[in-house]
Amino acid sequence: MPNFMLLLHEQPMDHSQFSAEEMQAVIAEYVAWRQKVEADGKFVSAEKLKDEGGRHLVHTDDGLRVTDGPYAEAAEVIGGYFTISADSYDDAVATASECPHLKFGGRIELREVEPTG
Amino acid sequence: MNDVPELNSLIGHLFRHHSGKMAAVLSRTFGVRHIDLIEDGIQDAMIAAMKRWPFTGVPENPSAWLTQVAKNRTIDRLRRETTSQELGDTFDVAIDASQDAQFEGEVVDDQLRMIFACCHPSIPPDSQVALTLKIVGGFSVPEISRSFLASQESVAKLLTRAKSKLRDGDVSLEIPVGDELTTRLSPVLKVLYLMFNEGYAPTAGDEVVRRDLCFEAIRLVGLLTSQKSAHVPKVDALAALFYFHAARFPARVGGDGEMLVLGDQDRSSWDREMIGRGFQHLLASASGDEVTDYHLEAEIASLHATSQDLASTDWRRIIECYDILQSRNYSPVVELNRIVAISRMSGTSQAFPALEKLEESGLLRGYFLFYATKARFLTDLARPREAAISFEKALSLAHNESARNLLTKNMAELTERKI
Repeated sequence: MPNFMLLLHEQPMDHSQFSAEEMQAVIAEYVAWRQKVEADGKFVSAEKLKDEGGRHLVHTDDGLRVTDGPYAEAAEVIGGYFTISADSYDDAVATASECPHLKFGGRIELREVEPTG
Repeated sequence: MNDVPELNSLIGHLFRHHSGKMAAVLSRTFGVRHIDLIEDGIQDAMIAAMKRWPFTGVPENPSAWLTQVAKNRTIDRLRRETTSQELGDTFDVAIDASQDAQFEGEVVDDQLRMIFACCHPSIPPDSQVALTLKIVGGFSVPEISRSFLASQESVAKLLTRAKSKLRDGDVSLEIPVGDELTTRLSPVLKVLYLMFNEGYAPTAGDEVVRRDLCFEAIRLVGLLTSQKSAHVPKVDALAALFYFHAARFPARVGGDGEMLVLGDQDRSSWDREMIGRGFQHLLASASGDEVTDYHLEAEIASLHATSQDLASTDWRRIIECYDILQSRNYSPVVELNRIVAISRMSGTSQAFPALEKLEESGLLRGYFLFYATKARFLTDLARPREAAISFEKALSLAHNESARNLLTKNMAELTERKI
């Protein structure tokens, strides 16, 4: 089965007014989703990227230019990614569509991974 | 999907309860005058968990993880916002957040110190409940405002005023001993009583949050009874009172979502285990020579808990308890309960004059239960037209959905009777 990556895009936001209950509820939703993916044998891996937005590198006529993220045009960062296995794009979309990230206002970019070898 | 160990570690109110514990532990470590920075550090830790755990999974010991991160974030904030001299050696303080028994015992002590600090006499009484809920209970400002029907702005204002006392160093973190314990316990018990009452009283507000208030009051009174230092008979009396009332939770709502009054409740659905705990505490509460209001209220609740039905209830003793309560501290709400008890023992016509007298006092002008009771009395006395007016009045004052359902149902029954 091919692997698919779920890139979780989000707008950096202020969580200082979230209540303890709300934060726990967010975690519980992700845990439940992940457990379902695992139970279906589709979970491959997941990693969180650091919050600061990273660095943006481009070559310009003046040489290498390194800027701090998040990038002005989007003000969006990739919070992290999940890799899942799925039969097809339809199957992967079905799994990704249940990811709580969407419910909490984030955007998911779904990409099929080119198999190595 | 049945085997979900990670979820199990998040059941109940882990975050809410643990944020209260962390506030207590970190206040002991860094000083309660830094309460704002400590609260921010705790919020940072919970945000970090919310952002991280979806990807990494929940750590094996989530509480220890949160405590460690909260401590580090608090230190970061202290470094940024205070002078290094003031901090002294506090950075070297190790918090062993592993959950061994000794640590848990220390955490209980820390929480007790925090409760006494939040209910310190220098803090205005109307701020004490809000402060205890916020810092010891881990409730958010919107949650407190929902449960007390106060605006978020006024809750925030109460908290700011109260916290300034903690910041100014007027309040030390200690568990009082000897005579001082007795004095300092009174406001603590009062706060827990108000907390429970607010959750229990059928006024209005968010049902779920309100029930949490009751269980938080039970949890905190349990902290007091679990430590020898704060365990005196009146604490048991209050615990008994809470358990007897909480035992009736499952029976309070009927099939149509309407509030069920005592006489209509299915007594078999009362929680026997809680009633048992109530009696354990009631027994322990009898060990001293002081009879507090909590003793009397617990006794009344115990008499209801052991009665098969309204007819076999010991109303004579209940009225006696109400009489003693009223002779100490007159309360119009207690008076209403006393009048209802009289109607049960001697009939509605005997009780009605007292109800009219209570109405003349004007003290319960905005209390829907007064008019609901009056409507019920008038129905019993076959005065349907006046009963209907009282029902209307009650309905106009009741903001709670289940209470409104009950009133609507009673009114419909009245109309049927008229036909």
